[in-house]
This record gives sequence, structure tokens and C-alpha cells, in this order.
Amino acid sequence: MNWKEAIVLGLSLADILGFLCVIGTVWGIKMMSSPATAVRGNLLGAVSMAVAIIITLVSENIIGQGLLWAGMAVGTAIGYWSALKVTMLQMPQMVALLNGLGGGSSALVSLLTLLAGGSASVASVTGLNMGMFEQITAVLGLIVGGVTLSGSIVAGAKLHGLMSSRPVVFEGQRTLNNAVLAVTAVLGALSLMMGTGTLFVLAMLTLIGSLVYGVLFAIRVGGADMPITVSLLNSFSGVAASISGFAISNPLLISIGAVVGASGLILTQIMCRAMNRSLGQVLSGATTVLKPAHATDKSTASAPVRSRGAEVSSASTAPTASAGSASPAVPAHIQAARNARKVIVVPGYGMALAQAQSDVKALIDMFDSRGADVKVGVHPVAGRMPGHMNVLLAEVDVAYDKLYEMDDINPEFADADLVVVVGANDVINPAANTAEGTPIYGMPILNVAEAKHIVICNYDTRPGYAGVENPLYQPSSKVTLLLGDAAMTLKKLLADIAAGDGAGAAAGIAPTDGQAVSAAPTATTSTSTVGYVDIVKQARKVIVVPGYGMALAQAQADVKKLMDMLEQNGADVKVGIHPVAGRMPGHMNVLLAEVDVAYDKLYEMDDINPEFADADLALVVGANDVINPAANTAEGTPIYGMPILNVAEAKHVVICNYDTKPGYAGVDNPLYKPSSKVTLLLGDAAVTVKQLMADLSTR
Amino acid sequence: MSPLVLVILFVVSSLVGYKVISAVPSLLHTPLMSGSNALSGITILGALTATAIARMMDNPVLAQIAGFVAIVLAMVNVVGGFVVTDRMLRMFHR
Repeated sequence: MNWKEAIVLGLSLADILGFLCVIGTVWGIKMMSSPATAVRGNLLGAVSMAVAIIITLVSENIIGQGLLWAGMAVGTAIGYWSALKVTMLQMPQMVALLNGLGGGSSALVSLLTLLAGGSASVASVTGLNMGMFEQITAVLGLIVGGVTLSGSIVAGAKLHGLMSSRPVVFEGQRTLNNAVLAVTAVLGALSLMMGTGTLFVLAMLTLIGSLVYGVLFAIRVGGADMPITVSLLNSFSGVAASISGFAISNPLLISIGAVVGASGLILTQIMCRAMNRSLGQVLSGATTVLKPAHATDKSTASAPVRSRGAEVSSASTAPTASAGSASPAVPAHIQAARNARKVIVVPGYGMALAQAQSDVKALIDMFDSRGADVKVGVHPVAGRMPGHMNVLLAEVDVAYDKLYEMDDINPEFADADLVVVVGANDVINPAANTAEGTPIYGMPILNVAEAKHIVICNYDTRPGYAGVENPLYQPSSKVTLLLGDAAMTLKKLLADIAAGDGAGAAAGIAPTDGQAVSAAPTATTSTSTVGYVDIVKQARKVIVVPGYGMALAQAQADVKKLMDMLEQNGADVKVGIHPVAGRMPGHMNVLLAEVDVAYDKLYEMDDINPEFADADLALVVGANDVINPAANTAEGTPIYGMPILNVAEAKHVVICNYDTKPGYAGVDNPLYKPSSKVTLLLGDAAVTVKQLMADLSTR
Repeated sequence: MSPLVLVILFVVSSLVGYKVISAVPSLLHTPLMSGSNALSGITILGALTATAIARMMDNPVLAQIAGFVAIVLAMVNVVGGFVVTDRMLRMFHR
């Protein structure tokens, strides 16, 4: 007996396995409710999909067809390659494009099904007899899939800057769109009624009509409305799959397609609510509130181009570090740390004992933010197992490309301005080179003694495990010993360095990589610079509000450093995220996660809004409409009634924005009026945030 | 299966999906979107069966090319979506 015909409760084995795939998929999504289980949830979805493919190949008896395998191999290679190449910033266009591909595939499936249904030769071989229900759904699948494909490509092109992200709006647009849709529908209906001969032509015309409609649908959407559009297209791609599932009577397609359709719909609803639009308005084409006459699209259209150009030129605002402005009171090692351009950190088992890894990470970040070149030199036997230090530091998100093996780092000590040793002893003991007859004689060590200055954070000055006195522990002008628990001494060191002087501040805005500082928008501080720095410094409770401007300026890493800095000052730092900040749902979350902001610091609008009243400081980075208090008061404007983040309730507001022009909605933001409570830092956010950090460390 | 059963399946799946997805926090909305995006590539199943019967159609070469393209597109969607989601989710940490 063929296993496929095994019947249990009226269902074939393939049906039962297919049902399990649906369960696995839904369960996988359920596991996405928490970051802790989400990775496995995604994996479960992928496995379910793989099983579903195998079931289909086997139960349809088509597993031997090479063409199918070739197609899957090509698709897998392209998909895998592009998924690894894409950067987090490019994620919106990647998602949009993938949506489109799914839609395109569904359209082709529907087209083939429709043609096969009208083909006498297929019917004679397979006995396939398509009813009207299958034919109607095939035409619908063709249309929805086609709209998804072309709409997503346009959305992706806008997001990628290949097309202007300005909304394309013209006279009679609504009429044209409706006419195209109507013509497409009529063509589709005709292809149901006509005989075999004209079916192909009519079906192709229907496909073309739906592609045109998809383009018309997407071009009128501007940059800030993209979260709605991308969500909606996501929903479309699911619906298209589901409809083509009807056409071929495949319950798996119907079921999982419907789940995706619901997912996209929920996201669309959330985005709509957050942007004060109804789904009806979106579906009828009223996604864009702007008229072209006063399209103030600066935050979307022109800025990306500008910042890309600036990346290339990469003019640095870094002054040559003016060392030597030190007051005599500053200890030598603090001075050395502030002026250091090249720093090597050497961890040892003492770091693990003191659980000082995160302090080491903070130290590395601090030197990074000051523009110094920071590396970590790891001795092969540091710690208690091979790679121990690497694991500990990876856990606190020290990038692994900062970690250097002994042989690679040893030539660099001679150039280093500063070495910070954290709980390492024998592995840096120069006696290994000289003290014949001792247990460590001949052992390769990290040549920290060659550096210009050495700070050693160790519990005490007793010899290490090998019992050989370490000559570095003798007090000298070059070596500073900070004894005690490394977690404590490192915190103290950080605070002392941050207590700052002029030289350190100057170094602080040196770009750490090629793309950080852009030349075109010179940072200008509109209000006097003195007062707000102290306010920022003294703030105990800080809420950071990121917006798309942060993404444009690529200022995520700077925001993270600033948050770390404020936390080192003892402040409670949270991030308030508006649902439509950015270009797709959760955009800000992804960007901040990429730079290692812990997700429990990220708060949704409803959770963070009650907290603004208590906040000493609201720090806005590139957000505009979503914090515009006019939404509460300015009746008749597009944003009236839109829920916003109540930054105006905070005791002080610092706004890092490119300029003071109104946001996408075109409504002036009253917060941009100079006042004692609001500080505007205009220009590229990556520059202004760096400047803010530099100012902070001088005070 | 009869159209009615399929329509019921569609409705039930939508409702279950709606319920489950509502529980996903906005923190993870981007990975949710790219993950569900990968799932929309389930249309690969349709692409496979449609391509398999394409060679019996009136214009087998053209139909098989269309089927091949459908498989490639769906597979890019599936693999790209899952891998990208995995990359993102692994960045989230406390």
C-alpha cells in the first residue's frame, strides 16, 4: 500500500504532517514574543518550512524533477548571500524587496494554475478539472501578487535612495488609480469567461494591470509613511500566498499565508494608530497628507543623498589633540589616559574574579569615544580555560575584532601610549625574560613594559601563581598601580578620566571610523553652550528619544556611547520609542540593538509617556513629528490627534536635529523655539552627539 | 477539499495568527516582519507543484521558465527572510 493513501481519521499522512508544519510555524511565531526564545522560534519556522517542502515533493511525486531542485538551489544561494550582505540600516528595503519576491512568486503560481486549468492537454493527463472557485482565486492571486511585487520594488527603491522618497502626487491620481484597478479587474473577469485561445493574453494583461497599479499605489507614499506601506505589503504577500493556495487547493499555503496576512495587518494597524490614520484611508490611497506644493520632505528626500556624499569626503572636525593643558593636580596616569591615542587593555584572571568585564567594556568604549585606538591583548593562558578572556569579553559585547592574540599584539606595545592591565600577573611579568631559574623563565609574555605608560589594576602586589616577583609592581613614573577589586578601581579610573580636561574634549570628537563625521552640515549650537551641559551632566533620569534622523546620520553608536557615559555618571537612562519612528515597525529597536543597547532599556510609547514628567532630561535625536506637541493642540493640521511622546513634560529637553524645519507632516514644532528649557543642537546628529559627549567630559 | 472547508481554514488561521502575533512586543517588530515575510515564501509549495505540471501545458518551455522563476523568487524570500531574521534576533540581548 502506498503510504500516501494511508488514511487516519479521513486525513492522509501528508495532510497530518502538513498540519504539524502549520502548528510548528505558529508556535515559532509565538516564541517570538520574547527575545529569549525568538531565535529558536525563527528556527522552528524555518524547519517547518523545510518539512513542508519535502512533504510536497514526496506527496506530489515530483521529488525527482531536476528543474525544481535547480530553482531551489539558485534561490537559496541568492537569498543566503543577500541576507548576509545586508546591513541593519538597509533592513527596511531588504524586507520590502523580500515581500515583493514572495508576491511575485504567488502571482506566477496563480498565472500557471490559471493557464493549466484552461489547458486541455493538462486536463487529459492529470484529470485536473478547475472549477470556477479555483479560477476566480487564481485571478485574484495574480492581481494581489502583482501589486505586491511592483509596489514592493517601488517601496524598496525609495528606501534605498534609488528613487526620491518624496511622494509622487499629481492631479487626478485617485481617478487614474481607480481606473487602472477597475480595468485590471475587468481583464481578470474576462479571462475567466474567455476560451483557451485568449486566456493567455488576457491573463498577461491582467498581470500587467496589477503591476501598474502596484507602482501607482507605492509612488504616492512618502518616506515617513513607509512603515505603513511596508507593513501593508507584508500583509499583501501573505494574502497573495493564501489566495494562490485556494487556487491549487493547498491547505498549507492557505493557512500560513493567512497567518502572514494577519501579521502584516496587525503591524499596519499599529502603525496607523501611531500615525493617526485609519486603515481605510491607507487602503483608499490617503496615506500621504502632504500636497506637493509645500512638501517639506527634508528629513526624507534630500538628507540621505547628502549624508552619503559626506561619507565619502569624510572631513574630520577633529582638532589636533592639544595636549599639555593639564593642571598640575591631574595625576600622571589620568593625563596619559586622556591624551592616549593608542591603548591596549590586557585582561587576566583577576578580571574574571572581580567580575569586571563590563567595566573593561566601558573603558574600551570610553577610549573609543575619545577617538583612541583601543585593542585588547589576550595571552593564551590568561584565565582558566583556552579562550576564557575572549568568552568573557564577548559576553559583554566587546567586538571580537578588538581581541588580539599575543603574537599579533606584542609588536604593538612599543607604540602604545597606554596599557591598562586588569588582573593579569604572570603573563605580563618581564621577569620571564630575565630571571633564570624561576618557574616562568622563558615563558612568552605580553610585552606591556614597552608601552609609554602602564596602569595596573590588580588586587594586590603579591607575586602571581608562579611565585615570581613582578618588577612592574615597583613604583615608577611610568607605572601606576591601582590596587583593590578591579571592578572598583576601573570605575574610579573611568570617572577620573571623564572628569576631563580640554585635551580630552578635543580628542573626544575625533572620528573613530571613516564615516562618522560629515562635512556638509557643520554643527552649530544655537543656544549658548554653557548651561545645558551641566544640566545633562547632573541629570539623574534621562529619556532618549531616537527618530529617523538618527538613522540618517548613522548616529546609533554615538547615542549608545552617550547613554553609557550618562549611566557611568549614575543616571537612569531609558529610551522611548514611538511606534512610527523610522521607516518600518521596530526600526529604532533594530538599529539600537545592533549597537548593543540592551532591549530592556527600550520602552514603548505608552510605557514611557508617564515617565517624562519625572525625567530631568529628554534627549531627542532626530525625531520630529513624533514629539511635536502641536499634535495635541493644533486642530486642523495633519498630525492633530496623533499620539506623541511627551518630551515637553521633561525638566529639560535637548534636541539633536538636522535643522528646525517642520517634520514630514509640515507642522511647525513649538519645541524648536528657543527657551530656557530646550536646547537645540543643530547639524548632523553623529557630530552633535559627539560634541555633547566631548563637552560632558570637560566638565 | 471543498471550497467551504478551505475558507473556514483561512478564517481560523487568520484569527489564530492575529492572536499569536498580537503578543509580540514592538521591540521585535522588525524581526517579526522579516520572519513572517519568510513565511510568505510558503508559496514555494505552489511554485513547485505548478512547475511540475508546467511541462504538460500547451507551451511547456515558457511555462517551465515561469515556474523556475517562481521557485527562485520564493526561495530567495524564504531563505533570505529566515537568515536575516536570525541575524537580527541574535543581536538582542539584555
